[in-house]
Amino acid sequence: MSEHPGLTEGNGQTPGPVASFDDPHMRPYARNPARVEKVVAALFLLGFLGFAAYGGTYWVNGPNELQALTLGVGLFATGFALAAWGRYLMPQGPFSEERHTLAASDEEVAAFSNAVSERGKAVFRRRGFLGALLGLGTATMGVVLAFPLLRSLGPRPGKGLDVTDWKPGSYVMDVTGRRITVDDLEVGGMMTVFPEGFVGASIDQTMLLRPSTAAFTTMPGRESWTPQGYVAYSKMCTHAGCPVGLYMEETQQMLCPCHQSLFDVLDGAKPVFGPAPRPLPQLALYVDSAGYLRAQAPYDQPVGPGFWERS
Amino acid sequence: MKDTRRRARLLLMPAVVVVGGGLVGLFTSGALAGASPAPKAPDPSAMAGATAADPITYSLPPASYVAPGEELFEANCASCHGTDAFGTDRAPNLVGLGAATVDFWVSTGRMPLAISSIQAVRKPPRFDRTQTLQIAAFVASLAPTSSAAPAIPHVNLSGASLSDGESLFVLNCAACHTVTGAGDALADGYFAPSLHRATKTQVAEAMRTGPGNMPRFGPGTLSDRQVADVDAFVTEALQHPQNVGGLGLGGVGAVAEGFVGLLFGVGGIMLVAFWLGDRS
Repeated sequence: MSEHPGLTEGNGQTPGPVASFDDPHMRPYARNPARVEKVVAALFLLGFLGFAAYGGTYWVNGPNELQALTLGVGLFATGFALAAWGRYLMPQGPFSEERHTLAASDEEVAAFSNAVSERGKAVFRRRGFLGALLGLGTATMGVVLAFPLLRSLGPRPGKGLDVTDWKPGSYVMDVTGRRITVDDLEVGGMMTVFPEGFVGASIDQTMLLRPSTAAFTTMPGRESWTPQGYVAYSKMCTHAGCPVGLYMEETQQMLCPCHQSLFDVLDGAKPVFGPAPRPLPQLALYVDSAGYLRAQAPYDQPVGPGFWERS
Repeated sequence: MKDTRRRARLLLMPAVVVVGGGLVGLFTSGALAGASPAPKAPDPSAMAGATAADPITYSLPPASYVAPGEELFEANCASCHGTDAFGTDRAPNLVGLGAATVDFWVSTGRMPLAISSIQAVRKPPRFDRTQTLQIAAFVASLAPTSSAAPAIPHVNLSGASLSDGESLFVLNCAACHTVTGAGDALADGYFAPSLHRATKTQVAEAMRTGPGNMPRFGPGTLSDRQVADVDAFVTEALQHPQNVGGLGLGGVGAVAEGFVGLLFGVGGIMLVAFWLGDRS
């Protein structure tokens, strides 16, 4: 070992001399330590007062804001005093401390690795059965620990992404569970609606709009879908699934707040701006003999953003 | 030279004190100040002969207002909307829109337009209350009043539920006006305006008439009770935010808050780090 000089220096065998207060390095950083000491003392006192006031405020169940203020004053003043103490009143140095070389010599490394591997082999050869059991247990544990990770991915969606709860004849309901009649929306009105029995279900949320009093055609083949000017589109954006709840009545556009996709209400909710790749699916409506708005059929395509198996 | 640098470094200490103390004050005094003003009591005088059970009563201005209203209309509005209010190629038809529509646009200062822009902006109204109602009375006299062309709503907030109003606001209004009522951009240069200066009459008028790009919330969508609840939430809660966290920063969301947090938070931490770490 003696050929490594670092090992013999500063290893506690020969302690160096304790620095004396006459040493210029031991002087505080501040030019006027007495004055700084007063400032630090005042800060400690302020911190004490803050903590005491916090305790008192807490004791009498004072307002939260006052508790926060007093605790904040206490913490800030005490912390600042500590920092100032260390900064201005501690010896300014610089000091140096010798350290031995951290790296082990090649011989030491070889001897250690030899000892470990030889001894380890001997131990396992003697208790092979226990070693196998140890491997079995830890391997099982590793597999089992992955279960919560897989489970956190949630259930398989199955058909849940393809179909909503809108059925042929579903009554259109508002968020309070009231059936919507054909008289409920003024021209220029809007409402978030759900199928009866599924109020609040996120995949079913639908924007019911009334741009006019007469039926209009959003797309060829959908002539009968807009009775008396009512039109219904899925509220889930086809881009990322955000609720498309911003209905610009004058320009007859729907805006998605997340990425500014813009859909043309009168033109089948085709996207006219933004990242949405498809029009919002349209729900076919009809008015029954009692005047209630109902769904002719389920959505004819999956609602919301695209997914891997989307047909 | 060394002396100058030493003095500059010593200045860091008061800087940290000022910034730190300022931050503590910033985030606590706002809370203390915000907690003090009590919500103001509903104004009972706004009710004109209605019972307390009616959250909203609709009434037209007196018939005597029609004639002076016509004079005001011809002098200030007819150049764009036409002498018969049927509209021109510069401005839309007003016949059949009702008194509430006219009152909203004129009392918020959006009409008469100062400059032609994509969307009219709120500004100090040109007409006083009586003149505004006179113009509204004249336009309303051109067509019958209906739920699609309502008269002036008088809102009684005394029985309104703030919590119901908040739920309805979040469901119907917050998408565009944001949950703090600060307003936000829409598409094509349009925007949802801030609600922080709207009066209770203007809030009710806007909901019932759907000015500009705003959808219309008729009586089949929201009852008078629900309109009054939303109105109470807007004029009593949104317009007097409590801001228990300190500064509200206009309620415009994460951009402003992140800016202040980075500037003052990280800046303050950097000052402290400079002060602590500087040794030689």
